[in-house]
Amino acid sequence: MKAANIAVPALVGILIVYALIKKVNVYKAFVDGAAEAVPQLIAILPYLAAMLGAISLLRASGAVEFFTGVMRPVTDRLGISPALVPLIALRPFSGSASLAMLKDILTEFGADSRVGRAASVLVGSTETVFYTTAVYFGAVGVTKTRHAIPAALISGAVGAAVGLLLVR
Amino acid sequence: MMKWIFGIMTVMGIAVFIARGDGAGALNALVKGGESAVELSISLAGAYMLWMGIMKIADEAGLINKLAKLMKKPLRLVMPDAGDAAAPVTLNLAANFFGLGNAATPFGIEAMKKLDRGDGRASNDMAMFIALNSSAIELLPTSVIAVRTACCSASPYDVVLPTFIASVAAALAAIISCRLLGRVFK
Repeated sequence: MKAANIAVPALVGILIVYALIKKVNVYKAFVDGAAEAVPQLIAILPYLAAMLGAISLLRASGAVEFFTGVMRPVTDRLGISPALVPLIALRPFSGSASLAMLKDILTEFGADSRVGRAASVLVGSTETVFYTTAVYFGAVGVTKTRHAIPAALISGAVGAAVGLLLVR
Repeated sequence: MMKWIFGIMTVMGIAVFIARGDGAGALNALVKGGESAVELSISLAGAYMLWMGIMKIADEAGLINKLAKLMKKPLRLVMPDAGDAAAPVTLNLAANFFGLGNAATPFGIEAMKKLDRGDGRASNDMAMFIALNSSAIELLPTSVIAVRTACCSASPYDVVLPTFIASVAAALAAIISCRLLGRVFK
Protein backbone atom coordinates (compact mmCIF):
# COMPACT_ATOMS: atom_id res chain seq x y z
CA MET A 1 0.00 0.00 0.00
CA LYS A 2 2.94 2.31 0.77
CA ALA A 3 4.38 1.76 -2.71
CA ALA A 4 1.07 2.67 -4.35
CA ASN A 5 0.91 5.84 -2.25
CA ILE A 6 4.17 7.00 -3.79
CA ALA A 7 3.85 5.43 -7.22
CA VAL A 8 0.71 7.20 -8.43
CA PRO A 9 1.66 10.81 -7.66
CA ALA A 10 5.20 10.03 -8.90
CA LEU A 11 3.79 8.74 -12.19
CA VAL A 12 1.65 11.86 -12.57
CA GLY A 13 4.72 14.02 -11.89
CA ILE A 14 6.83 12.11 -14.41
CA LEU A 15 4.01 12.37 -16.94
CA ILE A 16 3.89 16.16 -16.59
CA VAL A 17 7.67 16.47 -16.95
CA TYR A 18 7.59 14.21 -20.02
CA ALA A 19 4.71 16.23 -21.54
CA LEU A 20 6.60 19.48 -20.94
CA ILE A 21 9.66 18.05 -22.72
CA LYS A 22 7.35 17.05 -25.58
CA LYS A 23 6.30 20.75 -25.69
CA VAL A 24 2.71 20.04 -24.60
CA ASN A 25 0.86 22.98 -23.07
CA VAL A 26 0.10 20.98 -19.94
CA TYR A 27 -2.13 23.63 -18.40
CA LYS A 28 -4.31 23.94 -21.47
CA ALA A 29 -4.43 20.18 -21.95
CA PHE A 30 -5.50 19.65 -18.34
CA VAL A 31 -8.25 22.25 -18.61
CA ASP A 32 -9.46 20.81 -21.92
CA GLY A 33 -9.66 17.35 -20.40
CA ALA A 34 -11.40 18.54 -17.25
CA ALA A 35 -13.90 20.50 -19.35
CA GLU A 36 -15.04 17.26 -20.98
CA ALA A 37 -15.77 15.80 -17.56
CA VAL A 38 -18.54 18.19 -16.54
CA PRO A 39 -21.07 17.66 -19.38
CA GLN A 40 -20.33 13.94 -19.15
CA LEU A 41 -21.36 13.86 -15.50
CA ILE A 42 -24.56 15.75 -16.28
CA ALA A 43 -25.33 13.23 -19.02
CA ILE A 44 -24.95 10.35 -16.55
CA LEU A 45 -27.05 11.99 -13.83
CA PRO A 46 -30.52 10.90 -15.09
CA TYR A 47 -29.36 7.29 -15.43
CA LEU A 48 -28.00 7.40 -11.90
CA ALA A 49 -31.23 8.96 -10.62
CA ALA A 50 -33.27 6.15 -12.20
CA MET A 51 -31.03 3.34 -10.94
CA LEU A 52 -30.36 4.74 -7.48
CA GLY A 53 -34.07 5.55 -7.12
CA ALA A 54 -35.01 1.97 -7.92
CA ILE A 55 -32.28 0.63 -5.61
CA SER A 56 -33.32 2.92 -2.76
CA LEU A 57 -36.97 1.90 -3.20
CA LEU A 58 -36.14 -1.80 -3.22
CA ARG A 59 -33.93 -1.50 -0.16
CA ALA A 60 -36.40 0.57 1.87
CA SER A 61 -39.33 -1.70 1.01
CA GLY A 62 -37.71 -4.71 2.63
CA ALA A 63 -38.09 -6.70 -0.59
CA VAL A 64 -34.49 -7.88 -0.26
CA GLU A 65 -35.22 -9.40 3.15
CA PHE A 66 -38.38 -10.97 1.77
CA PHE A 67 -36.44 -12.48 -1.10
CA THR A 68 -33.71 -13.87 1.16
CA GLY A 69 -36.46 -15.40 3.34
CA VAL A 70 -37.98 -17.13 0.33
CA MET A 71 -34.56 -18.40 -0.77
CA ARG A 72 -33.72 -19.68 2.70
CA PRO A 73 -34.44 -23.41 2.06
CA VAL A 74 -32.21 -23.32 -1.03
CA THR A 75 -29.36 -21.44 0.63
CA ASP A 76 -29.57 -23.68 3.71
CA ARG A 77 -29.28 -26.75 1.55
CA LEU A 78 -26.22 -25.22 -0.16
CA GLY A 79 -24.69 -24.75 3.27
CA ILE A 80 -24.55 -20.94 3.04
CA SER A 81 -24.72 -19.32 6.46
CA PRO A 82 -28.00 -17.39 6.92
CA ALA A 83 -25.98 -14.31 7.90
CA LEU A 84 -24.39 -14.20 4.45
CA VAL A 85 -27.57 -14.46 2.35
CA PRO A 86 -28.72 -10.83 2.66
CA LEU A 87 -25.15 -9.73 1.92
CA ILE A 88 -25.08 -11.79 -1.29
CA ALA A 89 -28.49 -10.43 -2.30
CA LEU A 90 -27.55 -6.82 -1.60
CA ARG A 91 -24.03 -6.80 -3.00
CA PRO A 92 -24.90 -6.13 -6.69
CA PHE A 93 -27.04 -3.13 -5.70
CA SER A 94 -25.12 -1.10 -3.17
CA GLY A 95 -21.46 -0.84 -2.21
CA SER A 96 -21.97 1.28 0.90
CA ALA A 97 -24.81 -0.93 2.16
CA SER A 98 -22.77 -4.11 1.69
CA LEU A 99 -19.79 -2.58 3.50
CA ALA A 100 -22.11 -1.61 6.38
CA MET A 101 -23.51 -5.14 6.42
CA LEU A 102 -19.98 -6.58 6.37
CA LYS A 103 -19.18 -4.48 9.42
CA ASP A 104 -22.29 -5.83 11.22
CA ILE A 105 -21.35 -9.42 10.40
CA LEU A 106 -17.74 -8.93 11.54
CA THR A 107 -18.91 -7.32 14.79
CA GLU A 108 -21.45 -10.06 15.50
CA PHE A 109 -19.43 -13.15 14.54
CA GLY A 110 -15.87 -11.84 14.81
CA ALA A 111 -13.66 -10.77 11.91
CA ASP A 112 -11.61 -13.97 11.98
CA SER A 113 -14.55 -16.38 12.26
CA ARG A 114 -15.42 -18.46 9.24
CA VAL A 115 -18.54 -16.40 8.53
CA GLY A 116 -16.54 -13.19 8.96
CA ARG A 117 -13.85 -14.28 6.52
CA ALA A 118 -16.44 -15.54 4.03
CA ALA A 119 -18.27 -12.21 4.17
CA SER A 120 -14.97 -10.34 3.63
CA VAL A 121 -14.11 -12.44 0.58
CA LEU A 122 -17.65 -12.01 -0.81
CA VAL A 123 -17.52 -8.23 -0.60
CA GLY A 124 -13.95 -8.04 -1.91
CA SER A 125 -14.37 -10.28 -4.92
CA THR A 126 -17.65 -8.92 -6.27
CA GLU A 127 -18.82 -5.56 -7.55
CA THR A 128 -21.92 -3.36 -7.43
CA VAL A 129 -23.06 -4.54 -10.85
CA PHE A 130 -26.21 -2.43 -11.16
CA TYR A 131 -24.47 0.78 -10.18
CA THR A 132 -21.46 0.35 -12.51
CA THR A 133 -23.75 -0.67 -15.34
CA ALA A 134 -25.90 2.43 -14.87
CA VAL A 135 -22.84 4.71 -14.87
CA TYR A 136 -21.02 3.12 -17.80
CA PHE A 137 -24.00 2.59 -20.06
CA GLY A 138 -25.45 5.93 -18.98
CA ALA A 139 -22.28 7.64 -20.19
CA VAL A 140 -23.02 6.56 -23.76
CA GLY A 141 -26.82 6.53 -23.54
CA VAL A 142 -27.04 2.80 -24.11
CA THR A 143 -30.31 1.26 -22.89
CA LYS A 144 -30.17 -2.00 -24.86
CA THR A 145 -27.58 -3.61 -22.64
CA ARG A 146 -27.96 -7.12 -24.13
CA HIS A 147 -26.01 -9.76 -22.23
CA ALA A 148 -23.92 -7.34 -20.14
CA ILE A 149 -25.92 -7.68 -16.91
CA PRO A 150 -26.54 -11.45 -17.10
CA ALA A 151 -22.82 -12.01 -17.77
CA ALA A 152 -21.87 -9.66 -14.93
CA LEU A 153 -24.25 -11.43 -12.55
CA ILE A 154 -22.98 -14.88 -13.57
CA SER A 155 -19.44 -13.64 -13.01
CA GLY A 156 -20.47 -12.33 -9.58
CA ALA A 157 -22.18 -15.61 -8.68
CA VAL A 158 -19.08 -17.60 -9.69
CA GLY A 159 -16.87 -15.22 -7.69
CA ALA A 160 -19.12 -15.59 -4.64
CA ALA A 161 -19.29 -19.39 -4.98
CA VAL A 162 -15.50 -19.75 -5.32
CA GLY A 163 -15.02 -17.37 -2.41
CA LEU A 164 -17.36 -19.39 -0.20
CA LEU A 165 -15.63 -22.64 -1.15
CA LEU A 166 -12.18 -21.21 -0.38
CA VAL A 167 -12.95 -20.17 3.20
CA ARG A 168 -14.79 -23.39 4.01
CA MET B 1 -32.75 -5.62 -20.30
CA MET B 2 -32.43 -2.33 -18.43
CA LYS B 3 -36.15 -1.53 -18.76
CA TRP B 4 -37.02 -4.88 -17.20
CA ILE B 5 -34.57 -4.47 -14.35
CA PHE B 6 -35.78 -0.95 -13.62
CA GLY B 7 -39.41 -1.99 -14.06
CA ILE B 8 -39.24 -5.06 -11.85
CA MET B 9 -37.28 -3.27 -9.12
CA THR B 10 -39.66 -0.31 -8.92
CA VAL B 11 -42.90 -2.30 -9.23
CA MET B 12 -41.74 -4.80 -6.60
CA GLY B 13 -40.69 -2.00 -4.26
CA ILE B 14 -43.91 -0.03 -4.71
CA ALA B 15 -46.04 -3.16 -4.28
CA VAL B 16 -44.39 -4.00 -0.95
CA PHE B 17 -44.83 -0.42 0.27
CA ILE B 18 -48.52 -0.34 -0.71
CA ALA B 19 -49.08 -3.75 0.90
CA ARG B 20 -47.80 -2.20 4.09
CA GLY B 21 -50.06 0.83 3.59
CA ASP B 22 -47.10 3.20 3.32
CA GLY B 23 -47.48 4.91 -0.05
CA ALA B 24 -45.55 8.01 1.00
CA GLY B 25 -42.61 5.82 1.96
CA ALA B 26 -42.29 4.59 -1.61
CA LEU B 27 -42.10 8.12 -3.01
CA ASN B 28 -39.65 9.18 -0.31
CA ALA B 29 -37.37 6.29 -1.21
CA LEU B 30 -37.47 7.19 -4.90
CA VAL B 31 -36.71 10.85 -4.21
CA LYS B 32 -33.89 9.83 -1.89
CA GLY B 33 -32.39 7.83 -4.75
CA GLY B 34 -32.48 10.91 -6.97
CA GLU B 35 -30.84 12.96 -4.26
CA SER B 36 -28.06 10.45 -3.80
CA ALA B 37 -27.53 10.53 -7.58
CA VAL B 38 -26.90 14.27 -7.36
CA GLU B 39 -24.63 13.90 -4.32
CA LEU B 40 -22.71 11.13 -6.04
CA SER B 41 -22.20 13.16 -9.22
CA ILE B 42 -20.87 16.08 -7.23
CA SER B 43 -18.50 13.91 -5.22
CA LEU B 44 -17.41 12.20 -8.46
CA ALA B 45 -16.81 15.51 -10.22
CA GLY B 46 -13.53 16.35 -8.49
CA ALA B 47 -11.76 13.09 -9.21
CA TYR B 48 -13.32 12.95 -12.62
CA MET B 49 -12.02 16.35 -13.72
CA LEU B 50 -8.59 15.55 -12.28
CA TRP B 51 -8.20 12.26 -14.14
CA MET B 52 -9.70 13.50 -17.37
CA GLY B 53 -7.24 16.40 -17.25
CA ILE B 54 -4.29 14.09 -16.60
CA MET B 55 -5.42 11.74 -19.35
CA LYS B 56 -5.59 14.63 -21.80
CA ILE B 57 -2.00 15.59 -20.94
CA ALA B 58 -0.92 11.99 -21.57
CA ASP B 59 -2.90 12.01 -24.79
CA GLU B 60 -1.24 15.16 -26.14
CA ALA B 61 2.17 13.82 -25.15
CA GLY B 62 1.44 10.84 -27.38
CA LEU B 63 1.41 8.34 -24.53
CA ILE B 64 -2.20 7.22 -24.93
CA ASN B 65 -1.44 6.29 -28.52
CA LYS B 66 1.61 4.31 -27.44
CA LEU B 67 -0.34 2.50 -24.75
CA ALA B 68 -3.11 1.68 -27.23
CA LYS B 69 -0.59 0.22 -29.71
CA LEU B 70 1.04 -1.79 -26.95
CA MET B 71 -2.22 -3.21 -25.61
CA LYS B 72 -4.11 -3.78 -28.85
CA LYS B 73 -2.76 -7.31 -29.35
CA PRO B 74 -3.20 -8.68 -25.80
CA LEU B 75 -6.63 -7.05 -25.50
CA ARG B 76 -7.74 -8.62 -28.77
CA LEU B 77 -8.13 -11.91 -26.90
CA VAL B 78 -11.09 -10.59 -24.93
CA MET B 79 -12.19 -7.49 -26.82
CA PRO B 80 -11.53 -7.97 -30.54
CA ASP B 81 -12.94 -4.60 -31.64
CA ALA B 82 -11.41 -2.46 -28.89
CA GLY B 83 -9.56 -0.18 -31.35
CA ASP B 84 -9.17 3.30 -29.84
CA ALA B 85 -10.58 2.08 -26.56
CA ALA B 86 -7.51 -0.09 -25.86
CA ALA B 87 -5.77 2.65 -23.85
CA PRO B 88 -8.67 3.70 -21.57
CA VAL B 89 -9.67 0.04 -21.08
CA THR B 90 -6.11 -0.74 -19.93
CA LEU B 91 -6.04 2.32 -17.65
CA ASN B 92 -9.41 1.35 -16.16
CA LEU B 93 -8.36 -2.24 -15.46
CA ALA B 94 -5.02 -1.06 -14.04
CA ALA B 95 -6.69 1.54 -11.80
CA ASN B 96 -9.10 -1.10 -10.53
CA PHE B 97 -6.25 -3.54 -9.97
CA PHE B 98 -4.33 -1.06 -7.83
CA GLY B 99 -7.46 -0.01 -5.95
CA LEU B 100 -7.76 3.51 -7.39
CA GLY B 101 -11.53 3.43 -7.62
CA ASN B 102 -11.97 7.13 -8.31
CA ALA B 103 -9.56 7.01 -11.25
CA ALA B 104 -11.07 3.80 -12.62
CA THR B 105 -14.49 5.35 -13.23
CA PRO B 106 -13.33 8.22 -15.51
CA PHE B 107 -11.14 5.81 -17.51
CA GLY B 108 -14.06 3.39 -17.74
CA ILE B 109 -16.40 6.10 -19.02
CA GLU B 110 -13.80 7.12 -21.60
CA ALA B 111 -13.47 3.48 -22.66
CA MET B 112 -17.23 3.17 -23.09
CA LYS B 113 -17.29 6.34 -25.22
CA LYS B 114 -14.59 4.92 -27.47
CA LEU B 115 -16.37 1.57 -27.74
CA ASP B 116 -19.76 3.15 -28.45
CA ARG B 117 -21.05 3.12 -32.01
CA GLY B 118 -23.89 5.52 -31.24
CA ASP B 119 -26.71 3.07 -31.85
CA GLY B 120 -27.94 2.88 -28.25
CA ARG B 121 -27.04 -0.79 -28.10
CA ALA B 122 -24.27 -2.57 -26.21
CA SER B 123 -21.64 -4.14 -28.48
CA ASN B 124 -20.00 -7.44 -27.55
CA ASP B 125 -16.92 -5.53 -26.42
CA MET B 126 -18.96 -3.17 -24.25
CA ALA B 127 -20.69 -6.10 -22.55
CA MET B 128 -17.31 -7.78 -22.05
CA PHE B 129 -15.91 -4.60 -20.51
CA ILE B 130 -18.84 -4.31 -18.07
CA ALA B 131 -18.64 -8.00 -17.15
CA LEU B 132 -14.86 -7.83 -16.61
CA ASN B 133 -15.31 -4.75 -14.43
CA SER B 134 -17.78 -6.60 -12.25
CA SER B 135 -15.25 -9.31 -11.43
CA ALA B 136 -13.41 -6.76 -9.25
CA ILE B 137 -9.85 -8.03 -9.73
CA GLU B 138 -7.84 -6.08 -7.22
CA LEU B 139 -4.34 -6.44 -5.76
CA LEU B 140 -5.59 -5.46 -2.30
CA PRO B 141 -9.29 -5.16 -1.42
CA THR B 142 -8.53 -2.01 0.58
CA SER B 143 -12.04 -1.17 1.81
CA VAL B 144 -12.59 -4.71 3.09
CA ILE B 145 -9.20 -4.70 4.85
CA ALA B 146 -10.09 -1.37 6.43
CA VAL B 147 -13.37 -2.75 7.80
CA ARG B 148 -11.60 -5.90 9.07
CA THR B 149 -8.95 -3.82 10.82
CA ALA B 150 -11.63 -1.62 12.37
CA CYS B 151 -13.44 -4.74 13.60
CA CYS B 152 -10.34 -5.92 15.50
CA SER B 153 -9.27 -8.69 13.16
CA ALA B 154 -6.05 -10.39 14.29
CA SER B 155 -5.12 -10.99 10.65
CA PRO B 156 -6.97 -8.56 8.38
CA TYR B 157 -4.91 -9.64 5.36
CA ASP B 158 -5.97 -13.30 5.66
CA VAL B 159 -8.67 -12.79 3.06
CA VAL B 160 -6.47 -11.28 0.36
CA LEU B 161 -5.52 -14.52 -1.40
CA PRO B 162 -8.99 -16.14 -1.43
CA THR B 163 -10.45 -12.80 -2.58
CA PHE B 164 -7.97 -12.66 -5.43
CA ILE B 165 -8.60 -16.25 -6.51
CA ALA B 166 -12.37 -15.67 -6.38
CA SER B 167 -11.96 -12.52 -8.49
CA VAL B 168 -9.92 -14.36 -11.10
CA ALA B 169 -12.57 -17.09 -11.24
CA ALA B 170 -15.19 -14.35 -11.65
CA ALA B 171 -13.21 -12.79 -14.50
CA LEU B 172 -12.94 -16.12 -16.30
CA ALA B 173 -16.66 -16.66 -15.80
CA ALA B 174 -17.27 -13.17 -17.21
CA ILE B 175 -15.25 -13.93 -20.34
CA ILE B 176 -16.84 -17.32 -20.93
CA SER B 177 -20.42 -16.19 -20.24
CA CYS B 178 -19.97 -13.13 -22.48
CA ARG B 179 -18.75 -15.31 -25.31
CA LEU B 180 -21.69 -17.68 -24.96
CA LEU B 181 -24.44 -15.16 -24.19
CA GLY B 182 -23.32 -12.75 -26.91
CA ARG B 183 -24.83 -15.14 -29.42
CA VAL B 184 -28.11 -15.43 -27.54
CA PHE B 185 -28.81 -11.71 -26.92
CA LYS B 186 -29.00 -10.03 -30.30
